[in-house]
Parts: sequence; C-alpha cells; structure tokens
Amino acid sequence: MAVAQSSAQIGASKGFTYTTFTAAEEDLKQEVREFLRTELPTGSYRPCLGMSADHHGEFTKKMAARGWVGMSVPTRYGGPARSAVDRFIVVEEMLKAGAPIGAHWVADRQSAPTIMRFGTDEQREKFLPAIARGEMWFSIGMSEPDAGSDLAAVRTTATRTDGGWLLNGTKIWTSNAMQNHWFIVLCRTSPNEGDRHEGLSQFLVELHGTPGLQINPIAFLDGTYHFNEVVMTDVFVPDEQVLGEIGRGWSQVNSELAYERAGPDRFLSVYATFEQLLREKLAEGELDVRSYDVFGRITARYWALRNLSFSISRTIDQGGAPAVEASIVKDLGTSFEQEMIELLHDLWDDEEPSQEAATLGNRLLAACILTGPSFTIRGGTNEILRTVANKGLAAWHGVSR
Amino acid sequence: MSGQGNFEGADQYTVTVADPLLMETLHRLFTQTCSHQVIQVAETEGWAATIWEPLAGTGAPWVGVDEAVGGSGGGLVDAVGVLRLAGRYTVPLPVAETGLLGGWLAGAAGLALPEGPLTVVPQRPQDRLTLDGDTLSGVAHRVPWAAKATYILALVGDEIIAVEPGAQGVSIEAVRNLAGEPRETVRFERTALAHRATAPAGVDAAALRRRGALCRSAQIAGACERIAELTVEYAGQRSQFGQKINRFQAVAAHLVRLSSEATLIGMALDATTYALGQGDAAFEIASLKSIAGDSGSDVIARAHQVHGAIGMTREFVLHHLSRRVMAWREEFGSTSWWREELGRMVGGVGADALWPLISEGSASLQR
Repeated sequence: MAVAQSSAQIGASKGFTYTTFTAAEEDLKQEVREFLRTELPTGSYRPCLGMSADHHGEFTKKMAARGWVGMSVPTRYGGPARSAVDRFIVVEEMLKAGAPIGAHWVADRQSAPTIMRFGTDEQREKFLPAIARGEMWFSIGMSEPDAGSDLAAVRTTATRTDGGWLLNGTKIWTSNAMQNHWFIVLCRTSPNEGDRHEGLSQFLVELHGTPGLQINPIAFLDGTYHFNEVVMTDVFVPDEQVLGEIGRGWSQVNSELAYERAGPDRFLSVYATFEQLLREKLAEGELDVRSYDVFGRITARYWALRNLSFSISRTIDQGGAPAVEASIVKDLGTSFEQEMIELLHDLWDDEEPSQEAATLGNRLLAACILTGPSFTIRGGTNEILRTVANKGLAAWHGVSR
Repeated sequence: MSGQGNFEGADQYTVTVADPLLMETLHRLFTQTCSHQVIQVAETEGWAATIWEPLAGTGAPWVGVDEAVGGSGGGLVDAVGVLRLAGRYTVPLPVAETGLLGGWLAGAAGLALPEGPLTVVPQRPQDRLTLDGDTLSGVAHRVPWAAKATYILALVGDEIIAVEPGAQGVSIEAVRNLAGEPRETVRFERTALAHRATAPAGVDAAALRRRGALCRSAQIAGACERIAELTVEYAGQRSQFGQKINRFQAVAAHLVRLSSEATLIGMALDATTYALGQGDAAFEIASLKSIAGDSGSDVIARAHQVHGAIGMTREFVLHHLSRRVMAWREEFGSTSWWREELGRMVGGVGADALWPLISEGSASLQR
C-alpha cells in the first residue's frame, strides 16, 4: 500500500497549486483584450491555429510597443522584465484569438530566456533589446534528418578554426527560417563516443547573409510554406557567437525545451476554430443534444487544462522547476487538441471539411484536420515525453520505486 | 480552521488548501481504521462502526456545517478536503451525506443535528414523494445508507422534510451501488414527519444536485489519486520478461497518463472549491463532475490494465477504489448528464462569451 506522503500533500493536488490572478494581472488581461478588440476585431481576419501562427512583423512590433515581446528580458537589457504569469496571460489571450504572433514566437518563448541564462553580456546586449523591440526574430536549430526526438544524435559538427568554429551539417523543420534573423544551432563539438550527451554545444547563427548557409523550403502537407531545411557548409561562426559553454549543449538545450512544454500553446491550437464553429452552430438555430455533449466535454477540459498550465507559470515565478508537471500539460493538452478535432468533425458530418468551404468554421476545421497530427509531434513526441516523465513518476507520487 | 484565503490586496493571489492539521489527523485515522479487511466486511454489513465511531469523534463528518446548527464549522475547502481523503481511503460510510448534504439541508430547515449519521434523497427521476398533511407517502430510490441514518432528509416541492427510517410506514429495500455501498429504495406510507420547513432561497433540487456532484467528485479525486500511487508503485515491483513492468514503454505510457488524468480531476476540484467561495459555481461543478467521470473512467481502465489479473480479484485492494469510481461517477448526475448541462450553459452564453467562461468561470456569468 502506498501511504508514504509528506504531510503537506495530504488532501491536496500534487505538484499543482490552484491560483488566481492578482489585481495587476487582471489589469494586464483587460489591457490585452482591449488591444485585441482594436487590432483584431472578431470577424475581421481569419484566426491562426495557435502557435503555428502567421508571421506578421508589424503586429509583433505593435505588441512589442506594449512590452509583450521578449517578456522575460530584464530592464537592463531593454526588456519589460515580466513574470511567467504575465507572459501566460499575454500568450493565452493571443492564442485564444488566433493572433498572428509567428514572428516573435520562438524568440519570446525560448531564445530570449536561453540567451539571458547562458549568453555573455555582449550577447545579451546585442540580442535581447532587439528581441524586446520585436525586431529580431529567431528560429529553432535543433532537429536534423536523423535526430528528431533523439536530439543527442545530432550530426552537425562544429570544428575549431582560427577565431571561431566551422559548422557543417543540415538542420530540418526550421520554421520560418526564410523570414527570421537568427537561429540557435545545436552541434557536436567532440565525437559521439561514451556518454552521447557529452560534447554538444550551441551557436548563435545568422540565417541570412552568412556564407555557406543555404535555406531550402519544405512544403507542409496542407500546401503552406513555413518549414525549411538549413544546410551549412563550412559556415564560419566567430567565438563571440558560441552560446554558453562548449560541451554543455545538452543541458542547455533541455533547459530551453522546458520553456516549450507547459504553455497555453499546448492546448489552444484549435480554440479559435471551436469558438467559430459554436458561433456558426448557434446562428443556425438551437443546438441538439449531441452538440451540447461535445461542447460540454470540450469546455470542461479546456477549463481544467488551463488551470494546470496557469499553475505551472505561478510555480516558475516562485522559483520552482516543474518538470513532470510540464510533461503532463503537454501530453494532456496536445492529445486533447487532437481529440476535439474529431469530436467537432463528428458534429458536421453532413458537410465535408474543405479549405475552400463557404463558411469560416468549416475552413478552419479543414485546416485543423490537416495539421492536427503535428500537435503531438512538435517539441518532442508525446511517446518519448511520457517515457522521460515516467522516470520521475514514483518520486513525484511519493511511492517506493 | 484554515481554508480559503481570498486575500484582499492588489498583489495577492489565492491558494486553496485544506487545513493541514485536520488532513493529517484524518490521514492517520483512516490509515489505522480503513484496512482492506474492514472495508471488505463493511460491504457485507453495510456499515463500519470501527471507522464511524472515531471519525464522528473528530467531528470531521460535520466540517463545513455551521456551528450554529450543531456542525463543526470550517469552510467548504476543509469539507471538500475531508471528502477527498474519505475517497482516498474508500471510507464505506455516509460522510458526505451527513455533512455537506444532510447537514446542509438540516441546517436550512432549522433541524438540530443529531449525533448519528444523516442521509438525503438524491432525487432520481423515478421518485414519487407526496406530502399529505404531516405525513409522507411514495417512493425514493438510491438513498445512501437509509437504514443506518438517524434522519432521511428530502426536498419535496419547496419543503425540506425529515423522517426517521424506523418510523411507521417506512420500508427499505436493500439495493447497492456497483461498489456495494447501500443505495436503498425507500417506501413511505403515510409516514409521520419528524420535521418540516420551507426551504430557504438557494436550497432547491438544483442546488442539492450540485452539492452532491461536488461531494462525489471530491471522493473520485481522492480515489483516483490513490489509484495512481498504487499503480505506479505496483508497476515498479512486478516483473515480467525479466524486468520491472514499468520499464516497458507501453506500460509507462499508462502510468503517466493515468497520473495526469488523476491530476486533472484534482485541479478541477481545487478550482471548483475556490469558485464556491465566490458564488454557486454552477459552471465549475458541471465541469468538475464531467471531468471526474471522463478522467476517472480513464484512470481505472489504465490502472486495471497495468495490474493485470490480480486487480480483478477481491483479495487485492484496487477493486475497493475502482468500483467506487464506477459507482460515484453515476451519482448526482451522470457524466453525460453534466456534459450536456455544461453544453447548454455554453450554448446559452454564446461564442463571444465562451473564453471568459473558460478562463473566469461562473464569475463571468454574473456580470
């Protein structure tokens, strides 16, 4: 029998503490909603599907003017120094609306905190103020053709040369590389022998105007273009663009990945579609029992998942490192996003989803059906995530291993 | 007692935690009294005096009931904490019925709380209860521990009534839920009322159903948390093919997922408990009960799969928990009933108010 528990946990939720907004946080939420009412009134645009949002530099700069880009960046580097909860508020309101946040998404979520944490003062000075102004956009340079969920298998090499490093290899699934300015490249700096997590390093690399670097488009299955392959042939990277310590890339990249997992981006990809379908269903007349059941199920889960994700932001602000909790949110959230596409689809079984359909709801649903399979893949597959989370599970539950 | 801190002040946020001393006391009491054997025997006998006596001694069943009517005081946060622990340890007794349900109705009716347990008529659609002068006639279904209660309380029309199960004209048919807990069919024939009073505002069939759903959800939350612990521990002990079964990725996926679903129920419960400090929490309770049902079903299915054949036996502890989740998810509104209820709320507010509903809950309905 499992009875070993610390007294603090008895009768309480493990790892997650319910929390509410402070008055200041409530004000921020209202400010974001007001901004959206002005900039993106409902019906004036086609909502994006969560974080794989349109790349819109002007929108990003408008957000930056409010202090909502590079939110974690400290004031001495030109940032607004906002808390994780503040960022949670801005992000959930933007994603809920399907706002075009694609330009700054990666820079705001992970590049800025990574540079702040591991970068030199010079790097911070160079990148962070520009990110916070909404002018410097980042892509991710982790995945390779033979290194997906298994990141330690990266083959891109960086070899020592005069005053810097020579990078050779191919990065793939590099979203928006054609529009973004920089990416952080994970490379092997010493051979893959013994502990394969050793000998990895990160480099800041400019995506345009760098000799030897070529960007090749990869068409996404729905015909859109945001994916790329980035081929590097003897790309020279000066020493001042090494991020963090040579050989410490694995732990740096894991810290970067942690920013990816628990946010509202893991459950709000389909929200705008859901809202639009509800709007159209109500306009048609009274809902039937099947619709009530589906809308009820989806709404309940949104509400509970959101509280889990919100709780993690609060924990991070209090100095916690909620690793198991973040995995839980990503697994539950992304699986739910996929399930709800099917549930909603079932309600429109008399109308084939089509990207050219007459109604916006149907067009959005078509896009969700096409892109939905990616939800449980991006950021590391849920299967691998569960395997990793399982290792910490006995300790998390306070039971013997 | 502690409970809900809705702290005044601009830079405060709220946390919802039950009184740690009360939780610690009950945790110790339940681990000592709720043995596998005692729970097993209680199923045959419909009662467990070895648990009830010390439990009643702590006053825990009456936590959340006003001291003015003979309750133990304390807020809903503490009362929900008591039920969560009662669920965790599969306490085979009418804890919810005595406090948050029966104690609430008794208090609303001005009936002094007796020392013994109480129960309530959960108002099934098949029920037929009529008042004739100061007597009650008709039939009520699935009344928990009706025969053991000091009073059976019921809402009949806009009145709260109490009858003694031993009174003349009462006959009780032994029916049990899937967990073997008494859910009796009670027939009344011109049975004299022990008490009657007009129900005050806010005490009606819908409010009773919401309270019942809250109670069962709290019990399901506690049961699922323990199921998750038991299952993770078991998978770290059981070996097949020469290794611990938690080393298999397919099993690991079950372990992570059932822990996640159990956590989701717990968070829904915490959020609802907080909302109850602000209003009727109609949205939160509907969401909570449907999540407790959907996620609870997922938890028990995965837990049984990980346990294999041993989990299907009476000799192993899992069935005490899993059968209760199977039973409780049906009570005070089934999972699909609450999903539909919630869907009606969603349809009622419309698309533009959907996000405020999800992110602010019932509070968004009061504007």
